[in-house]
Parts: sequence; C-alpha cells; structure tokens
Amino acid sequence: MSGDVILVIVIFTALAFDVTNGFHDTANVVATAISTRALPARPAIAAASLLNFAGAFISLKVADTVGKGFVDTHAVTTTVVFAGLVGAIAWNIITWYFGLPSSSSHALIGGLVGSTAAAAGLHSVDGSGLLGNLIVPALAAPVIAFITAGLSILVVYRIVGRLRPGPTSRGFRLGQLVSSGLLALSHGTNDAQKTMGVITLALVAHGSIPANAFHVPTWVVIASATAIAVGTFSGGWRIIRTLGARIVKMDPAQGFAAQGAGAAVILAASSVGYPLSTTHVISGGIMGAGAGKRVSAVRWGVAGNIVTGWVLTLPAAALFGAAVDTLSGVFGTGATGPLVITIVLLLALGATFARRAQQAQAAPVTS
Amino acid sequence: MGAIDGHLLLRMSYTALIAGVGVAAVFSLTVYGMTRSSDMRREDRRIAAASYALLGLIGLALTGALVVIGLILLARKS
Repeated sequence: MSGDVILVIVIFTALAFDVTNGFHDTANVVATAISTRALPARPAIAAASLLNFAGAFISLKVADTVGKGFVDTHAVTTTVVFAGLVGAIAWNIITWYFGLPSSSSHALIGGLVGSTAAAAGLHSVDGSGLLGNLIVPALAAPVIAFITAGLSILVVYRIVGRLRPGPTSRGFRLGQLVSSGLLALSHGTNDAQKTMGVITLALVAHGSIPANAFHVPTWVVIASATAIAVGTFSGGWRIIRTLGARIVKMDPAQGFAAQGAGAAVILAASSVGYPLSTTHVISGGIMGAGAGKRVSAVRWGVAGNIVTGWVLTLPAAALFGAAVDTLSGVFGTGATGPLVITIVLLLALGATFARRAQQAQAAPVTS
Repeated sequence: MGAIDGHLLLRMSYTALIAGVGVAAVFSLTVYGMTRSSDMRREDRRIAAASYALLGLIGLALTGALVVIGLILLARKS
C-alpha cells in the first residue's frame, strides 16, 4: 500500500519537475527570437509550448538512457527516485530565482545519482555511464553548437553580407520562425524524455514493469509531453533576459544561426540517446553566433557566470538528492517521509511564487 | 551503453555541423535571391528579377526539404 502511495507521489513529483523544466527552459527556446523581434513574446511562448508537446512524441532513446544509463536499476526504490526529483526541483527553483541558467537535465540526473548513492552506496552509480552518456556529451555539445553557429554565421554573412540590411533582416526574422520552431521541437524531444525515463524507472522500482523489459508506457509519454508544454507556456522571464540580450546583442541572422545550430545539436544528440541540456547548447550557439561576427561582441563575463552554474549543477543537485533521501529515511521506509517532504516543498514553492508574483507586479517586463 | 562511445559522439558532431551549417547556407540563398529579386524589380530588370526569385525559391525548397528529411530520419531511428 505505502509503495503505491510513494509511486503516485513520485509520478506527480516527476510531472511537477517536468513543468519546472519547461518553465525554466522556455527562455532557451524563445529568447533569441524575442530579442531580435522575430516574434512577440506571448505567441512565441505559446508556439514553443505546442511544439514542445509534439516533440515529446518523436523519440524515446533519451528516456532509455536516463532510465538505465546512470544508476543500477536494482538499487533504485521509489523513495530514491522521489529524493532525486526533489533535489533536482530544489536546484531548478534556486537557479531560476537568481536568474541563472543551469541545466534541468543535469539537475535531474545529479539528484538521482545523489539519492541513489546515499541510499545504496557509491557502487550503485554507473560511473562509466555517467561519464560516457552525460559528462562528455555535456562538455562536447556546447562546443559543437558554438562551432556550428560560428561557421553558420560566417557562411550567412559571406552570402548576404553586401545586401541591403532591411530586407535581409526581415528575411532572417521569417527564418527565425522556423529555427525557433525547430528548437522548441528539439527541446520537447530531448527534455520531456528525461521525465519519461524517471517515471519509467519508478515503475520498474515499484515492480509495475520488469527490469529486463524496460519500456516507456504510452500514458507516460502523453503525461510528460503535457507537463513540459504547460511549463513552457508558463514561461521564465528572468532567464529570457539573461540569454536573449545579456550574453550578446544579436541581429536576426545571428539569432537564426544560433537557433539553427542549437536545434541541429539537440536533434542529433536525441538520435543517439544523449540527454543534453538545451541551456548548454543554445548558450553555446548564442556565443558562437556572436563570436562569429566579432569576438568582443560576446559578454564573456556573463558567459562565465553561466558556466559556473553549469559546473555547480551536477554536484549541487546530487547533494540535494542525497540530503532529501537521508531526510526521508528519518521517517522510516514508508510513505510518511515523501508525504512530509512533498508538503514542505509545496509550501516553499507557494511562498517563492507568491514573492515572485509580487515583484513582477512591481516591475512588469514588457515584450 | 557504457564508457565513452567515440563513434556516437562523432556521429552527433558531424550530423549537427552539416545540418546546422547546411540549413543556414541554403536559407541564406533564399534571402539573397529574394532581396536581389526585389532590387532587380525596382530597376525594371525583369529577367534578372525572375532568375533571383527562382534562386530564392530553390533555397526555400531546399531548406524545407533538409528540415523535413532531418525530422523523418530522427523519427525512424528512434
């Protein structure tokens, strides 16, 4: 009975994480299109939301990697998955509150790794899987996005450099409708699958799915797609400002190159099953598109702050995950621990959002 | 999957690079063709305007084809 209660809590917590993921990552998807005035903010966010939903149905390879690639599935219990999720949500909320782009994906995997290590020991963490499926792709992806965007903008300027700027900008603003859409689709493809992987892992831990027949049920796909779409629709203004204008001022051609490079990298990673961070990739793309025009155009100080957030995410979320698992253990192995932590988390979230809403009313951000 | 799979990483890298730069290049041809076509029309050079418009349309068709083919390949592999 308590196993069923914990499973229900885990599924709702995972979907809540998916909402915060969409909320947190909206900026990655729409910031460049809004900052270059290719799209007004609200329609951009609405379209991104729909495309995130659609993207979640394209592939399931990343869900497989998240479910099987980092921890020993036999060591995972529903409480461990719950603790990992809460660790990730806590880190997402903290970075969102301070306007710092971090990686929701790395927060999720960090939380899961931390809670598994706390519950079953470090040997239950697949170090080579973590290195090969997460850390190395995480380091490589922003560099690939940087190079792709940099080369793209050089090619673009080579072709259109001598044309009248007015029509050229209008052309690339139209192009950004497509590149934004592709980026949103790729985000749904890669990020929604992480939640699918975690829910499926919980179903395996619960015994609803045999460990040797790991597969993502259709209802999990639909629920995860819906959650990320709802989160994306809710938006994340603070991070939009950081990504859209503070890293580098962009023209529409640069925005097109940055988004195109980001979408290409995320879709290529999804096809091989790497759970990438859209934040890492689009930040790399933005910097590449900026540096391709003029290296000094990139505000490297802001970029440095973002890199600090990336480096902190995995260990910080792991620590949070481990702490939540330990705290939950204080209440025994039943459903009491997860229930108490869920109530405390909901209260903390309510207080945070109320405070943010008050601040937003005091200083509204215009589109 | 385990350890570092260089082959997968390489595949991700060149796929992204070719797709990203390729789409940027063919869409730039669209913008180039359409803008030059507009310039030629204003100078009343109709044949040149039509030629540039054709270049723009070919670029647009190639952009659409690249995007659609990429998505189909992704869906098939997964």
